[in-house]
Amino acid sequence: MDGAKVTPGRTAGLYAGAAVLRLAIFTLFPGIPDLLTGRVEISTPVTSFKRLQEGLFLYNHNVSPYDGGVYHQAPLFLPLFSLLPSSASLPIFTYLLYIAVDLLSASALWRIADSGESGSSALFTSPRREKRWSGFVIAALFLLNPFTVATCIGRSTSVFTTCAILHAVAKAVSGAPFGAMVALSFASYLSMYPLLLLPPLVLLCYDRQRSGRATKSMLQFAGTCTATVAGVLSVLFQLSYLLTGSWEFLPSTYGVQLTLSDLAPNVGLWWYFFIEMFDSFRSFFLAVFWLHLSSYVAGLTVRIRRQPLVVLTLLLGIFNIFKPYPSISDTSLFLALVPLYRHVFPLMRYTFVSAAVVLYASCLGPAFYYLWIYAGSGNANFFYAITLVWGLGLSLLVCDLMFAVLRDEWEVERPEMAGKEIRQI
Amino acid sequence: MGQLLSFLWLSLLSICVFSSSTSAADYHEQLNLRPLPQSALLASFNFRSNTSVSEFEKGNFRFFPRSLGQILQHAGTRELHLRFSLGRWDAESWGARPWDGAREGGTGVELWAWLEADTDKEADHKWLTLTNALSGLFCASLNFIDGTRTTRPVMSFQPEGDHSTTTNMHLLYGVLPHEVVCTENLTPFLKLLPCKGKAGIASLLDGHKLFDASWQSMAIDIRPICPLDGECVLQIEQTIDMVLDIDRSKRPRDNPIPRPPAGHDLPCDTSKPYHSHDTCFPADYTAHQDWSLTQIFGKTMKGTCPLADPAVPALCLQVPESRSVFVSEGVREKKNPDRVSRCFDIPPSTHLEMVLPTPDDSASISVTPEAPLLYAERSFTGHGQERGGVQTILRNPSPDTEVEFIYMESLPWFMRIYLHTMEARVAGQSHANKSLIQQVYYRPAVDRARGTQLEVRMRVPADSTVFLTYDFEKSILRYTEYPPDANRGFDVAAAVITILDPHQERQGSVSGRFAAYTLRTTSLLCSLPTPDFSMPYNVIIFTSTAIALAFGGIFNILVRRFVAADEGPEAGLAVVLGRLKGRLMGLVKGAVKR
Amino acid sequence: MPRLLASALQLRRDPRMLKLPPYLSLLCILAGVAWLFLLPLDQYSRRTYISENALLPGQVHTYFGGSDQNVFRAYKHEANELVGKSNAEFNDKLEPIIKGIGLKTARQNFTYHAAGQTFSGENLYAILQAPRGDATEAIVLVAAWENVKGETNRNGIPLALTLLRYFKRWSLWSKDIILLITPDSIAGPQAWVDAYHDAHDPARVSSLPLKSGLLQGAIAIDYAQEGRFDSVHIVYDGVNGQLPNLDLINSIVNIAGGQMGIGVALQEMWHHDNGYPDRLRTMLRGMLKQGLGLASGPHSSFIPYHVDAVTLRPFGEGWQDEMALGRVVEGSFRSLNNLLEHLHQSFFFYLLMQRERFVSIGTYLPSAMAVAINFTIMAIALWVKSGQPAEVTTPKSKTETPAPATAERDLFLPLGVVTLIQSLAIIPLYLFNHVPESALTPLFLAFTLLNTLLPPTLAHLLATSNTTLQQYHLIQSFSLLLLGMFLSSLATLNFSLALITGLLAAPLSFVRPYRSTAAKVAVSVLLNAVSPTAVVLAAAAYWGTDVTTVLREAAVGWHVCGTYSPVVVYPRHAQ
Repeated sequence: MDGAKVTPGRTAGLYAGAAVLRLAIFTLFPGIPDLLTGRVEISTPVTSFKRLQEGLFLYNHNVSPYDGGVYHQAPLFLPLFSLLPSSASLPIFTYLLYIAVDLLSASALWRIADSGESGSSALFTSPRREKRWSGFVIAALFLLNPFTVATCIGRSTSVFTTCAILHAVAKAVSGAPFGAMVALSFASYLSMYPLLLLPPLVLLCYDRQRSGRATKSMLQFAGTCTATVAGVLSVLFQLSYLLTGSWEFLPSTYGVQLTLSDLAPNVGLWWYFFIEMFDSFRSFFLAVFWLHLSSYVAGLTVRIRRQPLVVLTLLLGIFNIFKPYPSISDTSLFLALVPLYRHVFPLMRYTFVSAAVVLYASCLGPAFYYLWIYAGSGNANFFYAITLVWGLGLSLLVCDLMFAVLRDEWEVERPEMAGKEIRQI
Repeated sequence: MGQLLSFLWLSLLSICVFSSSTSAADYHEQLNLRPLPQSALLASFNFRSNTSVSEFEKGNFRFFPRSLGQILQHAGTRELHLRFSLGRWDAESWGARPWDGAREGGTGVELWAWLEADTDKEADHKWLTLTNALSGLFCASLNFIDGTRTTRPVMSFQPEGDHSTTTNMHLLYGVLPHEVVCTENLTPFLKLLPCKGKAGIASLLDGHKLFDASWQSMAIDIRPICPLDGECVLQIEQTIDMVLDIDRSKRPRDNPIPRPPAGHDLPCDTSKPYHSHDTCFPADYTAHQDWSLTQIFGKTMKGTCPLADPAVPALCLQVPESRSVFVSEGVREKKNPDRVSRCFDIPPSTHLEMVLPTPDDSASISVTPEAPLLYAERSFTGHGQERGGVQTILRNPSPDTEVEFIYMESLPWFMRIYLHTMEARVAGQSHANKSLIQQVYYRPAVDRARGTQLEVRMRVPADSTVFLTYDFEKSILRYTEYPPDANRGFDVAAAVITILDPHQERQGSVSGRFAAYTLRTTSLLCSLPTPDFSMPYNVIIFTSTAIALAFGGIFNILVRRFVAADEGPEAGLAVVLGRLKGRLMGLVKGAVKR
Repeated sequence: MPRLLASALQLRRDPRMLKLPPYLSLLCILAGVAWLFLLPLDQYSRRTYISENALLPGQVHTYFGGSDQNVFRAYKHEANELVGKSNAEFNDKLEPIIKGIGLKTARQNFTYHAAGQTFSGENLYAILQAPRGDATEAIVLVAAWENVKGETNRNGIPLALTLLRYFKRWSLWSKDIILLITPDSIAGPQAWVDAYHDAHDPARVSSLPLKSGLLQGAIAIDYAQEGRFDSVHIVYDGVNGQLPNLDLINSIVNIAGGQMGIGVALQEMWHHDNGYPDRLRTMLRGMLKQGLGLASGPHSSFIPYHVDAVTLRPFGEGWQDEMALGRVVEGSFRSLNNLLEHLHQSFFFYLLMQRERFVSIGTYLPSAMAVAINFTIMAIALWVKSGQPAEVTTPKSKTETPAPATAERDLFLPLGVVTLIQSLAIIPLYLFNHVPESALTPLFLAFTLLNTLLPPTLAHLLATSNTTLQQYHLIQSFSLLLLGMFLSSLATLNFSLALITGLLAAPLSFVRPYRSTAAKVAVSVLLNAVSPTAVVLAAAAYWGTDVTTVLREAAVGWHVCGTYSPVVVYPRHAQ
């Protein structure tokens, strides 16, 4: 079904189908949303919907939600959700909001796919590019991905970040640097780590800017972009300050991510590490982990300069393994971008292995968590081991994708090597 | 109602005794004995002494314990309340609590005080001094009352004494539910008494008996009292309430094991058709109603404390008038007009013994206790170590009057409560009833810095049961933050329920409490998820390895350049195989040579 | 890591590697089974030991006896009068007796609907509050009017009452003691425990008016037999194959065997000469019980809530009287009373093969894992094979890549088929648990028929819709991958069930698209023989019950059958 013709009818059908699926789960199984909201794989301390409810309650009762250990999410959520009818009495509006956000992300993804940026960027054109999936398929893969559906049903607020990031990329590829920067700053405002995506995104904008009013100097362009982000962010912070009446939301939202004061289990590698860490070394290792997280940005941006979108994809993949509070919604974002590289799939070597590992992990994880928390017959190491496996499987996938892309680039200069065995030295 | 009146009567008597002679420092002590259903006996000791504030400032303490006085002066404490409690008061069978619950605390140690300070910071500092000093004085780990265990209640407590309105006072409240109260706390308690437990009713107090009680509560209350005439006095009141199991107390100390009695002295219900020498349906649980002071306390009472005010009877007993009581000669018995209590005038230096034989009719065994204003029972809901809920069942027994009270919880920070899930519903109704909760004061917890403080002003309609429920999430701690017995769980302090006085008239300073009745629920045991405590090194190693693998893999691909398999130097498995081959060849050759 | 994999990938091209996997996976299965049979040997099993030192089993004197026997006789008279009376009647009779002992009592109504039947009744329970204690922890003593076999618990109820009356005299209890008297052995305790943890459905099970603290342990007395007994039978299987902490069993064995000199039996092995055959038999029985995952006594419902519980059932003709059993319970309660922390040390995954020998998870898990892994091996092998450009390659793969490279894989159809098939399994699960008992057997037959017919039709469909050989490979590969995945995660929850299912499903990893009809028929017969329906029939025939009872048990019990679903639909590869 490569490059199949997409009629408006099919588009509407896909969106309607996805929406109906989610609505059906919401309405037919009223127990499921709260069940999923409680799952550690879906909602982390910084994205949990239940914590959002608590923050909302305190906010509406004039208690500062940040003067406590429960609410660690961005202040702008509070007015947004207090506009909606309370999800306790009229949940349908909340459901609709989340479904709408998912569809928005899907449309952004669609635009990215149709731009063909993944196949042929400004500086590089892949020989395989004609073999790619249409935006329809990619959007479908995203919307019907069980991880995405689970995140939507669990009403984790990370879907907003996902949406913002996808829109930033979409704007960038459609040559609208300003929109891209605004979207990115929203994403960073919501969950901080997307700020690390700035360099590749700037490059992407630079490459894709419309030929009409193209800025020549790279530095100047980067400068303006950074300034835009800084400006938008400061505006957002000012707004939040006006809303909450104090700056205490900063330590309580971003400080928590920086210091990991809340050690709730999740699919990441941080929580158990810092539970078992000796107090004297805690701050040191926190610094090391953050450094490690940001170390990838420069390397990838420089090495894969010719395809900034690849850098974005890989970075998202890395973040969903190594960020402080990862959840399967980050994984779903990464998996949404991977199909853009349909043309390099034949060059990937361990797709089956990594897929199998991820599958095993996502099946064993809940089982081990049950053994630890409820049955009491297993201990924390069970779940920890699974998070390790999960991380390894995903990192293998990332490595593999990167290898395929690089080899694709390499075969442009060595066309005769296509399909031959190669090594790296 | 009967013996409540009598309580009032007694306390009023004692009040007028003071206010007659407020200027002079004085001291009086009194022991109240009240048999309870199910062969239990409530013994409540009360010691009260005071000194004028001016003298106190001069450091002239008189009857006021010097050690405590100096601490108070040093920590700028205006009013202090300290509680050591153990066990639970069985309200269903024992009825209303002594002193309307004003002199008891939750399990463990409870301390609240009004400190004079200009800023919160200063108040915290003084509070720290106070707790440390008291922990030294009472051999209790009060110094563990740190920031996470200290709260500042706004609704539940009000000063009992009279304070000048100019001084700005801070109320701080701390509780240690896990603290085990035992003999080492009793000894310093007795040391504070003028007679040091050598004479008077205090001579009956004995560690073994006290801590074998089914329920016991030691209280110290210090408050300034300014009568309308005369100068202010600083009053210290020490109270010990305990419920003794008569059956258990009567066992000889050298042989406390409850071996099965011989078949023939087993109280049997002979009316049963199958009753025979080897088949015995045990008679009802009403045996062992006869007791004497020596049986219960293990010794006689050594006269009265010479310093005590003789106007106040040292020993009072609350049994129906019809029940016969024998006391050693020289002791005069005075029946009170309320017909359910009697007091005894004990001449100094007589060893008082009191005997209550089994009465002929069961009606006159004990005064039927009067029902409390409210029954409260708190328990956890849900299972698993991830999240849970707290459910408090509040039952209002009275058929016509509704009860209004303040429900206060001070929870540890690692119980993250979700206030938006808190709801109160009347039993029988499915949906929550908004009108029950009138006012909520909530101070959320901050991780590792501050505990949750929740005060709810609510009401229970007449003759109905109300369920107050809320959810919470159990957070997982750093492995250094767990106690050695991590899998036992963490104790959660009792909830304090203060029932408001419907008509708040303040007559007289001592009885002018705004609370009509106070009770505390039992404490809870909250089990948190635990990490593997033997793993730190392994975890650090494994996680680092995983990160190193990913990092290495990615940068490996980034920095290397591609060549075809047949170009460049040999590498990978082929090299290894080649080496192996060579090695084998060498070996073979060597073997051949030899 | 990638370099190593890369060099390993060199081997992938090697044709010999493709011959290997079938033998490899066969080897895995055989190894798994062989491993199982090694376990009873002394070298592989271990002696039990108490790892929670606070328990101190058998270190205290037990004083139960003497004139308590008179009381017991009296209570027994009372109980005997109630035999055959209705549930409410005997609760009305017992409640005053318990109140007379001086305890607080309360009742709870429950009604369950399963397989078209209603299980309703009223639980009676009493709480002995620990003197000086605070309602933070509790131990439960359970006595059911009817045990799982339907016999009346003639001696158990009076014994429990006498014990409570005796416990009331002690002042050393640090935990509350709850006496729970249920009309039956399965529904009653389940309702009570659910309500205690507020996991109940208020419509069917009423909430508990009276509560205590965390449950630290539970012991059920099932003493239906008359007269004196010889040894005690410890029943420990929980619902869904969960087991209580081994320390509890050890301490009871220690108290009964070591202190009181009463024999102890496990898994209905009335006579056990600590030899290989008996050990093996005990272990296999244990595994079968665990695999079925049904409640085996009043204690079973406690275990899923992390409350360690066992049932004590005296048996045999001997000189031990009721007081002896009472002393065993007293000793066990004294041990539980000593506990500072909730039982967490020791083992929750184990196979007992004699009262003092066991194997822990580390030793026995490999066998189940080996069986699960064989599927994964085959899955990988098939994947690789599907990567090989076969003689009938899709035109795409021919154009795309030259010979040595991996062929393009068309993933959509296989994935679709597998997901569809897997999701089909929900239907029987739902039906079997929601139809009335009368409809069970016909439904079962219909399902069997369907189950036999579905694979060929599917295969035919696939054949007609020109699916390539590669897609066959992929379908099988994914199915096996999923199967291996489910089994390995199941092995952590319920080892025995995973092993049994794995062995039954083993042939699936070897089926190929055959040309000859004979082979087709043979294989499909074999596969139908191991398909769950056939297994259920065989099991029913073996234990001499009819299918209906088996299915009802399943419906009344838990939905473990859901895990069978992957197996159901695989035989399609046979064609």
